Amino acid sequence: MGNFFHAVGDIATNTSAYRNAIIVAVVLLFAASGELIAEKAGTINISLEAMMLAGAFSAAIGVDITHSVWIGLVCACVAGFLVAAVQANMSHRLPADQFVVGLVLNVLVLGLVGFLTSSIKPKSAVVRRVKIPLLSRPPLLGPALFDQPWVLYLVYPLIPLVWFLIYRTRWGLEVRAVGEDPNASDVSGLHVNKLRRQTIYLTGLLAGLGGGYFLFARAGKFEDSLIGGRGYIAIAAVIFGGWTLKGAIAGCVTFGLIGSFVLTIPSLGYQGIDPAFLAIAPNVVTIVAMAVFAKRVRQPGALARPFIRGLK
Amino acid sequence: MTPAADHRAGGLPDSPPAAEFVEVSKRFGRVVACDHVNLALHRGRIHGVLGENGAGKSTLMKMLIGLILPDDGHIRIHGEPVKIVDPIEAARMGIAMVHQHFSLVEPLTVWENVALGDTGRLDPARIRRRVGEISEQYGLEIDPDDRIFDLTAGMRQRVEIIKCLRRDPEILVFDEPTSVLSPAESEFLFAALRRVVEDQGKAVALVSHKLAEVISASDEITIMRDGKVVDYRPTAGSDPATLARAMVGRDVVLRREHAAFGVIDDSGDGAAPVKQPVAQQGQPVLRITGASVTGRDGRVLLDGLDLEVHAGEIVGVAGVEGNGQRTLGDVLSSLCPLAAGRVEVGGQQVATGQAGAMAGAGIAIIPEDRHDSGCVLDFTVAENIFIADPQRVARRGLMNRAQMNGMASELIEKFDIVCNGARAPMWSLSGGNQQRVVLARELSHQPRVLVAAQPTRGLDVGAIEYMSSQLRAAADNGVGVLLISTELEEILDLADRIIVISNGRIVGGMRRDEVDIAELGLMMGGAQ
Amino acid sequence: MSDVGEHIVTEPEEDEVASAALQRSRFGITGEVIALYAICVFVALAIAAICVAATGGSWVNVYTAILDGSIRKPGRWGLTLGVSAPILLVALGTVVNGRAGLVNIGQEGQLVMGSCFASYVAVRLGGPGPMVLIIAMLCGIVGGAIWAGIAGALRYYRNVPEVLSTLLMGTVAQNLMGWGLRKPWLLLAPAAGRANRNQVSEPLNSHTRIPRVTWFGNEFPISVLVALVLCIGVWVVLDRSVIGFRLRMLGRNPKTAQRSGVAERRYGIGAMLVSGAFAGLAGGIMLAGGDFGNYQLVANFGAGIGFAGLLAALVARQRVIVLLFVAFLFGCMRTGTGFLTATGVSGRVSDVVQGLLVLSLLLPPAILYVRERRRALSATSTRV
Repeated sequence: MGNFFHAVGDIATNTSAYRNAIIVAVVLLFAASGELIAEKAGTINISLEAMMLAGAFSAAIGVDITHSVWIGLVCACVAGFLVAAVQANMSHRLPADQFVVGLVLNVLVLGLVGFLTSSIKPKSAVVRRVKIPLLSRPPLLGPALFDQPWVLYLVYPLIPLVWFLIYRTRWGLEVRAVGEDPNASDVSGLHVNKLRRQTIYLTGLLAGLGGGYFLFARAGKFEDSLIGGRGYIAIAAVIFGGWTLKGAIAGCVTFGLIGSFVLTIPSLGYQGIDPAFLAIAPNVVTIVAMAVFAKRVRQPGALARPFIRGLK
Repeated sequence: MTPAADHRAGGLPDSPPAAEFVEVSKRFGRVVACDHVNLALHRGRIHGVLGENGAGKSTLMKMLIGLILPDDGHIRIHGEPVKIVDPIEAARMGIAMVHQHFSLVEPLTVWENVALGDTGRLDPARIRRRVGEISEQYGLEIDPDDRIFDLTAGMRQRVEIIKCLRRDPEILVFDEPTSVLSPAESEFLFAALRRVVEDQGKAVALVSHKLAEVISASDEITIMRDGKVVDYRPTAGSDPATLARAMVGRDVVLRREHAAFGVIDDSGDGAAPVKQPVAQQGQPVLRITGASVTGRDGRVLLDGLDLEVHAGEIVGVAGVEGNGQRTLGDVLSSLCPLAAGRVEVGGQQVATGQAGAMAGAGIAIIPEDRHDSGCVLDFTVAENIFIADPQRVARRGLMNRAQMNGMASELIEKFDIVCNGARAPMWSLSGGNQQRVVLARELSHQPRVLVAAQPTRGLDVGAIEYMSSQLRAAADNGVGVLLISTELEEILDLADRIIVISNGRIVGGMRRDEVDIAELGLMMGGAQ
Repeated sequence: MSDVGEHIVTEPEEDEVASAALQRSRFGITGEVIALYAICVFVALAIAAICVAATGGSWVNVYTAILDGSIRKPGRWGLTLGVSAPILLVALGTVVNGRAGLVNIGQEGQLVMGSCFASYVAVRLGGPGPMVLIIAMLCGIVGGAIWAGIAGALRYYRNVPEVLSTLLMGTVAQNLMGWGLRKPWLLLAPAAGRANRNQVSEPLNSHTRIPRVTWFGNEFPISVLVALVLCIGVWVVLDRSVIGFRLRMLGRNPKTAQRSGVAERRYGIGAMLVSGAFAGLAGGIMLAGGDFGNYQLVANFGAGIGFAGLLAALVARQRVIVLLFVAFLFGCMRTGTGFLTATGVSGRVSDVVQGLLVLSLLLPPAILYVRERRRALSATSTRV
């Protein structure tokens, strides 16, 4: 255990540990911010994983063909959107179960991407770091937040945008209403399933973008294990955060920190902590948090309940 | 102009009606919900639309606000034929509806709910201001930043009305607006309604099955039966007996039928004999003492409730909706444990919140919402009859379907349940017949106590009559009956003894033969 | 409050139509249904074919290879049976929790847990082979049941949605196995007899393996027969017994069930335990059956069988008898890959085919449901 605390001490003063944590936290945040909106509307998208993976793969293809990271990111959004479109239309236009559709999409996209990478090998690379003057000055946190691959900075305008969307726009109000009480919303003249589909489309765009971001910020080269369950962790972050944006950010950063342990500890030469425990930490933390808070935190009233007019 | 429309144009012959149904028909499968209906709503008048459940009045109004499209005929707004495809379209034409059951999203605030269904940019300040204006104008006081789940039923209805009035609609539809209100709240509502009509010249449709309230609040009355308009007349000078006959299509003689139309009969000399009070000696079959329940959100649902039911009597629990009736029903259905207090059946304490314990102790229940805890819609009728004791038709743990269906068929016959046999799925039955299945099951267990929570809600007159006679018969057979209802008329009709529930406790009671309606009303309103 | 109202308000109209719709569905739309399924499956296979063709492969060869590898070539259907058995077991468990209205999507983890428990005991316990085998399988059952039971308990005691806890615990189980495979005192095989860096468990010795039989030149472990027997057992219990009746009641209407004496916690957690137990047993027979590697645990031992079983149950829509066919079909998808290498197309193509097939099989019931619903609500402006 002493070993563990030494490791923690070393990591706490290690610039690259913070940097890694933020990089991982941001990929979670891209996905989680979309998922948060979708869950506010009463849907759960297990297919977040597939959206991210499709995004990362398409970003690699896009950048390989056009040599433009921007176009790569656009491809990522489109791919995420396509997966989302399947999810949304099967579970919120047709009444197929959302978890089933999500799971199948995860299996399908993983298979498809694995199959395609066996014959296509897209080339891509990590984008360059851009240092933001002044802001990157403070030790540890400064470089972690403001001396990063430039694609990471896309998340900064995203957060206030998502907040504004949820709490300050009519669409956001309608989304919240639909997630709390679809029947009342329907009678009030809202198109419940249309709104839900829209939130899922948005989730697809953001999760796809997150996948593309991760390729350019961290991995460089596409592999089908690139996302590796981070979609599930992003869902966990939303729940961990009690369906608030602040909470979701806290969840993403927490899980990002844990994720960075996994990377940093071996590089610092510690052997004592098995990587398996770090890998499961976000899951365990989320389950424990749910078990402790689930009775107190109010989840959206109609979360994961499909809406079909005239049925409960 | 059809002849029917002609004779009603009486009041204001120059201006076309604000809204007019012309020969409107709507069928669902084989059922004709509306059959060539003509009806006109005029500015400055309250038009009562009277009819039993299932007479087609709700369907008609849903067409007006665009939830249902007519098959035939058309709707005119200010004389112009229009097609109303959804509620947003209806809102644009100045039509708004206050729904029977609220269309409010509970975790949101008042102003957020008011803003739902609008279009355009969200401007909280403007909406708050608008809420303030409306509440001042019509005396509907409310704080726009309150959350709905903190509000009482009466307050919620104010929100619903404000939501309706926010865009200054020309035409207002109220669908059974008093079903969740106390008598005082109902009066307040009609006073506000009158102001809306007189000050603003709006056209109001008041849809109701309660004769008395339509007579007291409306200017003109249309009566519907089986999807057709059977009568139209100005309210002034109408007499209840004629209207009731038109509603049902025959003479209404029974007191309980009067009750079904909301006519309070406190003379005590109705056709049905008032039973002599049962001797309340010995042990009661059901005794609840000090029952307390706190909801998950910390609200007190039952607050030291005490009550007793003796064998052979019907005890009516009167009260405004949302004062603990649902929780009381839940406790007696084993759905909810008591935080304090005890429940005894025949002197034996029964564990609360333990699956099947109440049923096992001999408490039969006709739940408030049969779809919620009374039956399983996806099961067959036979399965629904045996849900509590499948062992009766099982050997060594395996169920004998043939035996089960056979025994169910007998009950179907005995209770006159209309269905496609024992194997018909429960959802294919009408509401009244579903209720009969529940009743058949509960009575087939020889219960000691029968709890009937809002047993006639949503049923038509025939079904109400059937249910009432069954409750009476059960009491005559020595079962203690606890009738929980928000319809005071129903309780006055059936109960031997009346107690009033308010804020989760019993605040008073009186025998049926010495009932004082004014005092009951006061107690229901929360006065001790 | 308002959703209660919806029912009451719309009752008279809807009931009538509902019974009309019922009659329609009783008489003669079967042809339509079959056509719908056929179209969906065809489209799925066509899309997969296009994917193959687009990457320069031959889709004819791919489908031929899958058919050859799964049933056509000698000895292959025995292998397919061996692979289908754990899929069937997982799916049976999934049907049980589905009937109780619970969603378990962590079968992969429960299966892994089962295989770990079974492996630990089978390698260490001495005694007559069959006894050790049976005890090991029982431990596998216990392992899977514990893993699902935790989720069940969290659901009923702490309000944690079981969908999420089973999902998250799936990854936990896999990582725990990875950790166990690094610890000699847990699962890691002794250094002798394994390549240095390989993290594998000690293989079961030949006495503690599930016996294999040969029928018509096809060899498979007798666990296949056990799975079939269990399948019949589950069918009887779920569709014919009082317990199954009550479980269904719980799934359809928990409140009515509670009132009628079905204790939600007991039956719900029970259903989760049984569900996990089946997944655990599937893990056990994967380990001891011989169709999945060399009677030992390796990294990623679950190989997606848990997910396949889950999908099989979902495609079969909780009907036990249909499951038999679906599980076999999914088994074919796996063994079919064996012959793919010769075609030069990646084995991953079978995942694509399987995913598309499942997706396409979800469509017809959904479409039919919507259509029935539309009919029921006829001309009301349905915005499903």
